Amino acid sequence: MQTDALIRKAGGGRLSREDQRRLGDILQRVYDDVVRQGVPDRFKDLLGELDGHREGADAGNPSARAQRDGAEQGSHDSGGLVEAKAFPHSKGSAS
Amino acid sequence: MTMRPSVRDAMLAAVPSLRAFAISLCGNVDRADDLVQETLLRAVANIDSFQPGTNMSAWLFTILRNLFRSEYRKRRREVEDTDGSYAESLKSHPEQQSRVEFEEFRVALAKLPSDQREALILVGASGFSYEEAAAICECAVGTIKSRVNRARTRLSELLAIEGADDFGPDHATRAILSAGGRS
Repeated sequence: MQTDALIRKAGGGRLSREDQRRLGDILQRVYDDVVRQGVPDRFKDLLGELDGHREGADAGNPSARAQRDGAEQGSHDSGGLVEAKAFPHSKGSAS
Repeated sequence: MTMRPSVRDAMLAAVPSLRAFAISLCGNVDRADDLVQETLLRAVANIDSFQPGTNMSAWLFTILRNLFRSEYRKRRREVEDTDGSYAESLKSHPEQQSRVEFEEFRVALAKLPSDQREALILVGASGFSYEEAAAICECAVGTIKSRVNRARTRLSELLAIEGADDFGPDHATRAILSAGGRS
Protein backbone atom coordinates (compact mmCIF):
# COMPACT_ATOMS: atom_id res chain seq x y z
CA MET A 1 0.00 0.00 0.00
CA GLN A 2 1.54 3.23 -1.12
CA THR A 3 0.00 5.34 1.61
CA ASP A 4 1.05 3.00 4.38
CA ALA A 5 4.58 2.99 3.08
CA LEU A 6 4.70 6.79 3.02
CA ILE A 7 3.32 7.07 6.51
CA ARG A 8 5.81 4.56 7.80
CA LYS A 9 8.63 6.42 6.16
CA ALA A 10 7.46 9.75 7.50
CA GLY A 11 6.74 8.51 10.99
CA GLY A 12 9.90 6.49 11.41
CA GLY A 13 11.98 9.18 13.08
CA ARG A 14 14.09 11.85 11.41
CA LEU A 15 13.24 12.95 7.91
CA SER A 16 15.68 12.50 5.11
CA ARG A 17 17.50 15.57 3.84
CA GLU A 18 15.49 15.29 0.66
CA ASP A 19 12.17 15.39 2.55
CA GLN A 20 13.33 18.27 4.73
CA ARG A 21 14.40 20.26 1.69
CA ARG A 22 11.10 19.56 -0.04
CA LEU A 23 9.05 20.67 2.97
CA GLY A 24 11.25 23.73 3.36
CA ASP A 25 10.76 24.70 -0.26
CA ILE A 26 6.98 24.53 -0.06
CA LEU A 27 6.91 26.38 3.25
CA GLN A 28 9.04 29.15 1.80
CA ARG A 29 6.85 29.44 -1.29
CA VAL A 30 3.63 29.59 0.74
CA TYR A 31 5.15 32.27 2.95
CA ASP A 32 6.67 34.28 0.11
CA ASP A 33 3.34 34.19 -1.68
CA VAL A 34 2.05 36.52 1.05
CA VAL A 35 5.26 38.53 1.36
CA ARG A 36 5.10 39.37 -2.34
CA GLN A 37 1.76 41.11 -1.75
CA GLY A 38 3.77 43.91 -0.20
CA VAL A 39 2.31 46.47 2.19
CA PRO A 40 -1.47 46.90 1.89
CA ASP A 41 -2.63 50.51 1.79
CA ARG A 42 -4.34 50.23 5.18
CA PHE A 43 -0.95 49.91 6.87
CA LYS A 44 0.66 52.70 4.88
CA ASP A 45 -2.31 54.89 5.81
CA LEU A 46 -2.19 53.81 9.45
CA LEU A 47 1.47 54.66 9.91
CA GLY A 48 1.06 57.79 7.83
CA GLU A 49 -1.69 59.04 10.13
CA LEU A 50 0.47 58.37 13.15
CA ASP A 51 3.26 60.33 11.56
CA GLY A 52 1.50 63.62 10.90
CA HIS A 53 4.24 65.86 9.66
CA ARG A 54 5.20 63.49 6.87
CA GLU A 55 1.68 62.71 5.79
CA GLY A 56 1.21 65.95 3.92
CA ALA A 57 4.24 65.33 1.77
CA ASP A 58 3.38 61.74 1.01
CA ALA A 59 -0.38 61.46 1.00
CA GLY A 60 -0.88 62.42 -2.64
CA ASN A 61 1.86 60.24 -3.98
CA PRO A 62 1.71 56.73 -2.61
CA SER A 63 3.90 55.23 -5.32
CA ALA A 64 6.73 57.61 -4.53
CA ARG A 65 6.37 56.71 -0.90
CA ALA A 66 6.45 53.02 -1.69
CA GLN A 67 9.55 53.48 -3.79
CA ARG A 68 11.25 55.37 -1.02
CA ASP A 69 10.33 52.70 1.50
CA GLY A 70 11.77 50.02 -0.73
CA ALA A 71 14.93 51.94 -1.47
CA GLU A 72 15.71 52.86 2.09
CA GLN A 73 14.87 49.58 3.66
CA GLY A 74 15.96 46.97 1.16
CA SER A 75 15.86 43.42 2.36
CA HIS A 76 14.68 43.70 5.92
CA ASP A 77 15.04 40.05 6.73
CA SER A 78 18.68 39.51 5.95
CA GLY A 79 20.79 42.32 7.31
CA GLY A 80 21.14 43.75 10.75
CA LEU A 81 19.74 40.88 12.77
CA VAL A 82 20.87 41.14 16.33
CA GLU A 83 20.85 38.99 19.39
CA ALA A 84 17.45 38.62 20.93
CA LYS A 85 18.67 40.26 24.12
CA ALA A 86 18.52 43.53 22.24
CA PHE A 87 14.76 43.83 22.67
CA PRO A 88 14.18 43.00 26.31
CA HIS A 89 11.20 45.32 26.68
CA SER A 90 9.05 43.59 24.12
CA LYS A 91 7.44 41.25 26.61
CA GLY A 92 6.03 44.06 28.65
CA SER A 93 5.00 46.13 25.70
CA ALA A 94 2.82 43.45 24.22
CA SER A 95 1.11 42.09 27.27
CA MET B 1 3.40 61.41 19.22
CA THR B 2 6.63 61.63 17.30
CA MET B 3 8.15 58.77 15.44
CA ARG B 4 11.32 59.00 13.49
CA PRO B 5 10.90 58.37 9.76
CA SER B 6 13.51 55.62 9.86
CA VAL B 7 11.52 53.83 12.57
CA ARG B 8 8.29 54.18 10.64
CA ASP B 9 9.95 52.91 7.47
CA ALA B 10 11.42 49.95 9.33
CA MET B 11 7.93 49.09 10.56
CA LEU B 12 6.49 49.32 7.06
CA ALA B 13 9.29 47.16 5.70
CA ALA B 14 8.45 44.45 8.24
CA VAL B 15 4.74 44.39 7.34
CA PRO B 16 4.86 41.84 4.46
CA SER B 17 6.66 39.30 6.61
CA LEU B 18 4.49 40.09 9.64
CA ARG B 19 1.39 39.40 7.55
CA ALA B 20 2.77 36.09 6.32
CA PHE B 21 3.52 35.09 9.90
CA ALA B 22 0.11 36.25 11.12
CA ILE B 23 -1.72 34.35 8.37
CA SER B 24 0.20 31.21 9.23
CA LEU B 25 -0.71 31.65 12.90
CA CYS B 26 -4.41 32.31 12.60
CA GLY B 27 -5.21 30.96 9.13
CA ASN B 28 -7.47 33.84 8.18
CA VAL B 29 -6.36 36.80 6.12
CA ASP B 30 -8.76 39.33 7.63
CA ARG B 31 -7.96 38.37 11.19
CA ALA B 32 -4.28 38.31 10.33
CA ASP B 33 -4.45 41.87 9.02
CA ASP B 34 -6.29 42.98 12.15
CA LEU B 35 -3.55 41.33 14.17
CA VAL B 36 -0.88 43.16 12.19
CA GLN B 37 -2.72 46.44 12.68
CA GLU B 38 -2.99 45.88 16.43
CA THR B 39 0.71 44.99 16.47
CA LEU B 40 1.67 48.24 14.74
CA LEU B 41 -0.50 50.28 17.12
CA ARG B 42 1.10 48.58 20.13
CA ALA B 43 4.54 49.12 18.67
CA VAL B 44 3.94 52.82 18.07
CA ALA B 45 2.50 53.25 21.56
CA ASN B 46 5.55 51.53 23.04
CA ILE B 47 8.14 52.86 20.63
CA ASP B 48 10.19 54.23 23.53
CA SER B 49 10.99 50.67 24.57
CA PHE B 50 12.43 49.87 21.15
CA GLN B 51 16.18 50.34 21.00
CA PRO B 52 17.21 52.04 17.75
CA GLY B 53 19.63 49.92 15.78
CA THR B 54 18.24 46.63 17.07
CA ASN B 55 16.07 44.24 15.14
CA MET B 56 12.72 45.93 14.48
CA SER B 57 11.38 42.88 12.72
CA ALA B 58 12.06 40.57 15.69
CA TRP B 59 10.53 43.13 18.06
CA LEU B 60 7.35 43.34 15.99
CA PHE B 61 7.14 39.56 15.65
CA THR B 62 7.34 39.26 19.44
CA ILE B 63 4.50 41.72 19.91
CA LEU B 64 2.36 40.03 17.27
CA ARG B 65 2.93 36.60 18.76
CA ASN B 66 2.00 37.77 22.24
CA LEU B 67 -1.14 39.45 20.93
CA PHE B 68 -2.11 36.32 19.05
CA ARG B 69 -1.59 34.11 22.07
CA SER B 70 -3.61 36.30 24.39
CA GLU B 71 -6.41 36.32 21.82
CA TYR B 72 -6.00 32.59 21.20
CA ARG B 73 -6.61 31.83 24.85
CA LYS B 74 -9.93 33.64 24.60
CA ARG B 75 -11.02 32.09 21.33
CA ARG B 76 -9.42 28.66 21.35
CA ARG B 77 -12.13 26.78 19.54
CA GLU B 78 -12.61 29.30 16.79
CA VAL B 79 -8.94 29.30 15.87
CA GLU B 80 -9.02 25.65 14.90
CA ASP B 81 -11.67 26.25 12.24
CA THR B 82 -9.43 27.48 9.47
CA ASP B 83 -10.11 25.37 6.39
CA GLY B 84 -12.59 27.79 4.86
CA SER B 85 -10.24 30.73 5.00
CA TYR B 86 -7.41 28.71 3.54
CA ALA B 87 -9.56 27.81 0.57
CA GLU B 88 -10.48 31.48 0.25
CA SER B 89 -6.89 32.66 0.40
CA LEU B 90 -6.03 30.38 -2.49
CA LYS B 91 -8.31 32.10 -4.97
CA SER B 92 -5.59 34.54 -5.85
CA HIS B 93 -3.03 31.97 -6.87
CA PRO B 94 -2.84 31.57 -10.65
CA GLU B 95 -1.25 28.19 -11.17
CA GLN B 96 -3.57 25.27 -10.72
CA GLN B 97 -0.91 22.72 -9.80
CA SER B 98 0.66 25.03 -7.25
CA ARG B 99 -2.75 25.94 -5.90
CA VAL B 100 -3.46 22.37 -4.97
CA GLU B 101 -0.03 21.92 -3.49
CA PHE B 102 -0.35 25.13 -1.49
CA GLU B 103 -3.80 24.20 -0.34
CA GLU B 104 -2.80 20.81 0.98
CA PHE B 105 0.27 22.25 2.59
CA ARG B 106 -1.61 25.05 4.33
CA VAL B 107 -4.25 22.70 5.62
CA ALA B 108 -1.55 20.42 6.99
CA LEU B 109 0.24 23.40 8.51
CA ALA B 110 -2.96 24.47 10.25
CA LYS B 111 -3.18 21.08 11.95
CA LEU B 112 0.15 21.45 13.71
CA PRO B 113 0.15 22.46 17.36
CA SER B 114 0.63 26.24 17.40
CA ASP B 115 3.96 25.99 19.24
CA GLN B 116 5.38 23.82 16.50
CA ARG B 117 3.84 25.85 13.69
CA GLU B 118 5.24 29.16 14.85
CA ALA B 119 8.71 27.69 15.43
CA LEU B 120 8.76 26.18 11.94
CA ILE B 121 7.60 29.41 10.31
CA LEU B 122 10.04 31.65 12.18
CA VAL B 123 13.04 29.46 11.38
CA GLY B 124 12.00 27.93 8.07
CA ALA B 125 10.36 30.89 6.35
CA SER B 126 10.83 34.18 8.21
CA GLY B 127 14.59 33.79 8.21
CA PHE B 128 15.19 34.08 11.94
CA SER B 129 17.98 32.15 13.62
CA TYR B 130 17.14 29.57 16.27
CA GLU B 131 18.32 32.08 18.88
CA GLU B 132 16.07 34.83 17.56
CA ALA B 133 13.11 32.48 17.31
CA ALA B 134 13.73 31.40 20.91
CA ALA B 135 13.69 35.03 22.02
CA ILE B 136 10.48 35.74 20.10
CA CYS B 137 8.80 32.67 21.59
CA GLU B 138 10.35 33.23 25.02
CA CYS B 139 11.73 29.73 25.34
CA ALA B 140 15.06 27.90 25.17
CA VAL B 141 16.92 27.44 21.90
CA GLY B 142 16.77 23.67 22.35
CA THR B 143 13.00 23.89 22.68
CA ILE B 144 12.77 25.70 19.34
CA LYS B 145 14.95 23.08 17.66
CA SER B 146 12.82 20.31 19.06
CA ARG B 147 9.59 22.01 17.96
CA VAL B 148 10.93 22.56 14.45
CA ASN B 149 11.91 18.91 14.15
CA ARG B 150 8.56 17.71 15.41
CA ALA B 151 6.78 20.12 13.09
CA ARG B 152 8.65 18.79 10.06
CA THR B 153 7.95 15.19 11.00
CA ARG B 154 4.29 15.84 11.63
CA LEU B 155 3.88 17.83 8.41
CA SER B 156 5.45 15.04 6.45
CA GLU B 157 3.04 12.57 8.03
CA LEU B 158 0.03 14.76 7.28
CA LEU B 159 1.04 15.31 3.67
CA ALA B 160 1.76 11.64 3.16
CA ILE B 161 -1.74 10.82 4.39
CA GLU B 162 -3.59 13.53 2.53
CA GLY B 163 -1.57 13.75 -0.64
CA ALA B 164 -0.24 10.25 -1.09
CA ASP B 165 0.11 10.88 -4.81
CA ASP B 166 3.23 12.98 -4.37
CA PHE B 167 1.39 16.16 -3.30
CA GLY B 168 -0.39 16.09 -6.66
CA PRO B 169 -4.01 17.01 -7.33
CA ASP B 170 -6.31 15.30 -4.94
CA HIS B 171 -9.83 15.98 -6.09
CA ALA B 172 -11.52 14.48 -3.05
CA THR B 173 -9.56 16.74 -0.74
CA ARG B 174 -10.27 19.75 -2.89
CA ALA B 175 -13.98 19.03 -3.00
CA ILE B 176 -14.12 18.66 0.76
CA LEU B 177 -12.24 21.89 1.26
CA SER B 178 -14.43 23.81 -1.18
CA ALA B 179 -17.55 22.60 0.57
CA GLY B 180 -16.04 23.38 3.95
CA GLY B 181 -15.40 26.93 2.88
CA ARG B 182 -19.08 27.65 2.37
CA SER B 183 -20.33 26.26 5.64
